[in-house]
Formats: sequence, C-alpha cells, structure tokens
Amino acid sequence: MIDFFFTYESLFDLILVNALLAMSQYVVLRAGVFSLGTAGFAALGAYGCALLVTRAGWPPALAIAAGMAIGTAASVLLALPLSRLRGVFQAVATLAFVQIVLSATQNWVELTNGALGINGIPKVVGLGTLTVVTLLVVAFLVAMGRFSFGRALDVIREDETVAVSLGISVPRYHRIAFIMSGALAGLAGGLHACNSYTITPGEFGFQMLVNVLAMVVLGGRTSVWGALAGAAILSTLPELFRVFADYRNMVQGVLMMLVIVYLPRGVADSFIVAVGDRRSRQASAVHGPRHETAVSVVHAAASDAGVRP
Amino acid sequence: MFLQQIINGIVVGSVYGLFALGFTLLFGVNHIMNMAHGSVFMWGAFAGLYAVLGFEAPVGVALLAGMVAGGLMSVLLDLVAFRPLRRRGAPEFSAIVSSIGANLVLLAVAQKVSNTAVMRFPFDAFPVVVYRVFGLRIQLLQLVIMGVVLLMVAGLVHALYRTEFGRRIRAVAFSEPTARLLGINPTLVNMQVFFISGALAGLAGVLIGLVFNSVHFGMGEPLLLRAFVIVILGGLGSIPGALIAGLIIGIVQTLGIAYVSAGMAEAIVFLALFVVILVRPTGLFGQAGATMRVRRA
Amino acid sequence: MTQTLVLENVARHFGGVPAVDGLSLAVPAGRITGLIGPNGAGKTTVVNLITGMLHLSAGRVLLGGRDVSREEAPELARAGVARTFQNIRLVADASVLDNVLAGFHRHEKTGLMANLFGLPSARAETARLRAEAMTLLERFGMAALALERAGSLSYGHQRRIEMMRALAAQPSLLLLDEPVAGMNDAEAESLAGIFRAVAGEGVAVLLIEHNMRFVMSLCSHLYVLASGRLIAEGAPEVVGRDPRVVEAYLGA
Repeated sequence: MIDFFFTYESLFDLILVNALLAMSQYVVLRAGVFSLGTAGFAALGAYGCALLVTRAGWPPALAIAAGMAIGTAASVLLALPLSRLRGVFQAVATLAFVQIVLSATQNWVELTNGALGINGIPKVVGLGTLTVVTLLVVAFLVAMGRFSFGRALDVIREDETVAVSLGISVPRYHRIAFIMSGALAGLAGGLHACNSYTITPGEFGFQMLVNVLAMVVLGGRTSVWGALAGAAILSTLPELFRVFADYRNMVQGVLMMLVIVYLPRGVADSFIVAVGDRRSRQASAVHGPRHETAVSVVHAAASDAGVRP
Repeated sequence: MFLQQIINGIVVGSVYGLFALGFTLLFGVNHIMNMAHGSVFMWGAFAGLYAVLGFEAPVGVALLAGMVAGGLMSVLLDLVAFRPLRRRGAPEFSAIVSSIGANLVLLAVAQKVSNTAVMRFPFDAFPVVVYRVFGLRIQLLQLVIMGVVLLMVAGLVHALYRTEFGRRIRAVAFSEPTARLLGINPTLVNMQVFFISGALAGLAGVLIGLVFNSVHFGMGEPLLLRAFVIVILGGLGSIPGALIAGLIIGIVQTLGIAYVSAGMAEAIVFLALFVVILVRPTGLFGQAGATMRVRRA
Repeated sequence: MTQTLVLENVARHFGGVPAVDGLSLAVPAGRITGLIGPNGAGKTTVVNLITGMLHLSAGRVLLGGRDVSREEAPELARAGVARTFQNIRLVADASVLDNVLAGFHRHEKTGLMANLFGLPSARAETARLRAEAMTLLERFGMAALALERAGSLSYGHQRRIEMMRALAAQPSLLLLDEPVAGMNDAEAESLAGIFRAVAGEGVAVLLIEHNMRFVMSLCSHLYVLASGRLIAEGAPEVVGRDPRVVEAYLGA
C-alpha cells in the first residue's frame, strides 16, 4: 500500500495542485464571473516564490506565502476594472492578462531566465503539505458556500437582474470572487514551484488555461466537489489510458464538447442533483402527494440543512 | 525604412482584418465567440498547401481550396459544436467552452497529420517579383494579397447590403424571432454565415502561409489572439471596425517587431487589448454592449 | 393614508416613441393597488422604471416621500422595494429554502469576513434566517418541501417560492408582475389570500395584471394603462364599467 503511494506520488502531487487550480477557477465561475485568469495568477505565484527562494534566499514557506500574496495583489488590481465587464469581455480581458504574464516570463530574461525557466528550486513541498493545504482550502470553500456569500453568488450567477432586485451589490461580489480566485491560484503556483525543481513559462500558458477550465467544466462549476472531481478525472485520465496520452488533447476536447452539451452541470454536480431528485421521488412515493407534514420533522431537518457547499 | 515597415504592416494587417472579419461576422449574427476560428484558418492553410504540393496547383486554386476547406470546416463546427447548444438554449458560456473543446480536437488532428512539422510552399509557388517604387520594395505577392483582400471585402459588403441573401443575414443578425416571422430560415442563414466566416478564415490562412512562407499546426493560435484584439478594438460585430483595426494592429505589430523585439511586440498588442477593454469595450465602431452590467438603461 | 409609492408625470421614450407618457399614480400602504391594461400597454415599462431598470425620460418616482428617480436597483431594493418577475427566475439547482434565504440578503447584518470564514456570528445569523424562512414556508404550505430542488417542483410551487423570496426582504413596497399567469383558479385564489394578508400587514402592494377578473376582487384601486397612457382610474366596479376601458381591452 505504501509502495503504491510512493510510485504514484508525483501523480497525487499533480492531482492536488490541479485541485487547487480548479478551485481557483470554480470560485469565479460559481459567481458568474467568466475569468480565465487562473493560469496567469499561478504564474505570478510560482515565479514570485521561485525567484525569492533561488535568488533572494528566502525560506520556502515564506516564499510560498509571498507567491500567494503576489497573486492576490494582481487580482486586487484587476478586480475593479474587471467587475465593470461581463461575459465574453471578462473572458477576453483575463485571457489577455494570461498572455501578458506569459510574454513577460518568456521575454524578461534578466529576471525570469526566459524560456529556460528557473531551476534548482528546493523540493520542500511534498504530498503531505499539499494534502493539508488542499483540505484546508476545501474546508474554507465549503464554509464559504454555506452562508450568505455562497447564496449570493448563486443568485448572481443564475440571474443578475434578480440579484440586483434583492439588493445584492453584484460588482462587489464579482470582485471578491475574483480576488479569491487570484489568491488560490497564486498559492497553487507557489506550492507547485516548491514541488518541482523547475518551472518554465510554457507551463502557465494556454495549455494550463484550457486544462483548468476543462476540469471545472467536466466536474462541475457550482460546487467544490465538482472542481475536485474534475481535477481528479483529468489528471488521472492520461495515466489510466497511457495509450491515449498521445491523444490527450483530442480526448480532452471531445470530453469538453460532450459534457457541455449533454451534462452541462458537470459530472459531479449532475450526480449530486440526480441523487437529490431520486431521494425526493422516493420520499414522495412513500409519503404520498406532498402537503404539510409534521412541522417538527421538518424543523429537525432544516436545522442542519443540507445546504450545498 | 519606416515607410517600408508601414507597407509590410498594411499587407499583414489586411489579412488580419480578413480573418477578424469572419470572426466578427459570426459574433454579429450568432452572438458566438468562435474559439476554434484559428483552427479553421490553419486548416485552410493546410488545404491550400496540399493543393500546391499534392496537385501542383497554381496559387489561385490554392486560395480557392483554402476558402472551400475553411468554409466546410466552419459549417462542420457549427453542426457539431454550436447547434446542439442553440437547440438547448444554452448560455453564452457553453458555446465558448464547446468551441474551445472543438479547437483542441482540430489542433490535435492537425498536429498528428502534419507530424508537427513546419511546412513551406515550394519556391516556385509564386513568382518572386519585386517592384521598386520611391525607394520602397513592394513584392508582387504583397500586391496580390491586398488585391485579393479588397476583392473579398468588396464582394462581402456588396453581398450583405445589396442582395436578398445579405438582407436575410442582416435580418437574422438583428433579431432571430423577427426574421423567422418574415419567413426566413435562421438555420440556413446561420449555416451560410458560418461558411462565409470559415471561407474568409481559410483564405487568410493561405495568404498568411504565403506571406510568412510557413504553414504549421500552431499557426492559428497567435492569429486568434490577434483577432480578439482586432474585433474588440474595432467593435464586436462591426465590419469596418474589423478592417480598420486589423490594419492598425498589423502596422503596430510590424513596427513593434522591427523596432523593439518580437516578444515585446506581442506584449504590446495585448496591453493594447487590455486598455481598450477597460476604457472603451465597445471599440471604435461597436454597438453599446449587450454584455454590460445591470444598471438603469 | 400614507402613499408609499408615488409616480408624478412619469414618462419613458424609446427613440422618440413614448412607451409610457404622463403617468401619475399612488400606491398606499396596506392596500392592493392594481395596474392593468392590455398587452403592450406599457405595464412592464412602468415596473422597470420603478425598480431601477430604466431611466425616466420625465417625471419623478417617490418612495415614502423621497425622490428615488435616479437610484439604482440595489439601492431601491435596500430601501424596501421588492418585486416578482413575469417569468420564473429561481436558482433551479438550489433548494427551496436556499432560494427563499436569498431574499433575506438586505437584512443580513454579519459582515463578509464572518461569512467567509464561518464565524459563530454568521452561523447564528444563518440559523436565525433559516428559522424565519421556515416560518414563511409554513405560511405558504410548503414547509415539507424545504429541501427540494426548486427546479424539480411544479409551476405553482415555483411561483410561491418567488413570492416568498420577495416577502423575505420585508419590503415596504411589493410589486407583483403578473403573479398568477398560467395558474388555475384555485391556485390563483390561494395566492390572492396571501396578497390580502401581506397588504394587511401594512405593505403597499402594486399588482400588475392583465387578467381583469382576478384583479376585481383583490384591488381597492385600479389604474388602467393603454398605449402608455392612463385611461382610467378608480374603484374596480367603476373602472370595469368604463367604456374606454372596455374598448381598450376589446380593441387590443
């Protein structure tokens, strides 16, 4: 059993880093913000951390925190202008941001070593650290979804007009979701840098952008479980079907198209809804057509209500 | 030297404009951002190259091959990636995701088929003739390209504004339900628009392949990014916007590469996009965004 | 009798074409006021003008005596304006309870940070709001369905959820935009009972409908709109017999 983990350690590392990235993407999409900027913030976090460790001799833990701070700072700067945009404009603006960061990392050779990337980053982040961080983030996001913040996000995403009519300040929530996304991506980037000896600009380009989007599309963009499921599936698919590794992009593309048409909520979220619906159908089959049942029963159920995380 | 770069920029910019035109047409009529448009462009280039390499066809035929291939590929894209979503009334987000997926597939196939090689047109594909005018070097190829672009644009504008066919397209662009009431079949019109858009992209592909003498499975991606800048600068859905912005970007890029560096030129183009989106998202000629936030209208 | 909502000579033009012109009306607290008219009369435009979706071309809107003509929708919502929509706009995948909870937004006191981190104050408030939401559900006879996915319920149930969401905000002005469209008489009647109860609690209710019959028994005062102008107003029995009103409905 232990052998299993060691052999596949790098795969698990990948799944967890991808999970963090996917959660970064999920937060904005849940709020209805069409941001594709995760790869850009991850790049900033990774390079920030790597440079501080290799060039300035910072202790890795501090450097990772700094990486997260840089990602957060960038998203704070962009949040205000971005919250004035909608839909495709947000997508294109964040896409341009990713491209700008990519250009900077590729061409600002004195700082980033260009296309060669930064080498010799001490690998201090292992499976244990990644697991703990991921669990903390999941717990945080689940909690976030449970209270008014999560509810507000859902209303904004479904129908902005309704949100506005309920007094919700849409730009404010968009900004917050965007900043959370930047922070998470920056964290993921920093952790990734200290988990792999080298980072290169190419890792944070359109390949990552599409991958991260695909994970959330596949798994689901309205619950944390969706992001996790998507990350797990897309990270392991090339491993399980080694023979398809060549065709990885094609498979990913086909999956995206199929899922968005036939299972638009994503695999995990569709499953959650289906289970919920089945349970209520069974309940009504047992109890007959629904009218007011004993109030006390309902109160008990509602007090630890199954609010979606 | 400066003027020379301007000319080069205009030539490249006009082809960019052609490509962006197809993109903006799709948006104007269907409200779709076709993220696979770059791959259509690339496959058009492949088709044109194949016509020349495989059949020793003259350049004119290659251009035609590119147009047809691009048009057909675009229609296929509509059938597979967009129509199922339209039928289900899916939101904008879904269409973009679907086209990203389709793009991946098209790229992967092209990569396999071409073995990731960078291919070139044979030397004799186009006569290398250079004119010297006022101390500037103008290639015959460049003149031909500009001629082709002008012809295409003129043809498109004529078709859109002076024919029944174009009237139907504009009706659907204005309002699909209204067009339906007038007896217009939106499905057919959509298909036609996809074909035209793809044909323009495919043609642009062959032209760019000739200008830079390079055909490669990844050639579409930088172009799609340019197209974003162009259509947003020019205004989503605006024809003159796409063309004028195309010229501007072509010139800016060429000057950037000549006087700064290739990498920086890229970054400059994107910073420009960023600034435009933030300052004036509707661009030079675009209609006031339907995509803006909920406020008193 | 306090006038919660007053429109003074309100107009809205679209490119020179008046959708609404010279409209003045008043909606008092504790009563149900009706705004009726044939399709295309401009009723939806009026709703949008009141709720901050459209700019006024002319005139003023006063809420509780205060000029709110230029305020944006979230501000109006926070000032106590609630509305329902013609087409159902719920979060389909969320539970009935969550949908109704969203309506409490303007009353939430705990800050963002507390909510983000699940601090005790946020938990306590959410529990309190859940209890209040459950009370609302019981009143509407949907307590048993609290955890059902809103999208899986019947049209009648979904309409009620929308109503509960609007009431959760404890508005001073409630705009009902064709709330019983597509319902059978029994369902409509049961909702009518709820409207009366709500008005009885002091809320000013503006009911927008084009179904004359439904409106007759419910409203204390009617305004009739046709082609963007007020053609009649007064008690329902009087308005119902007004030849201009009859003609507007028949001619439309």
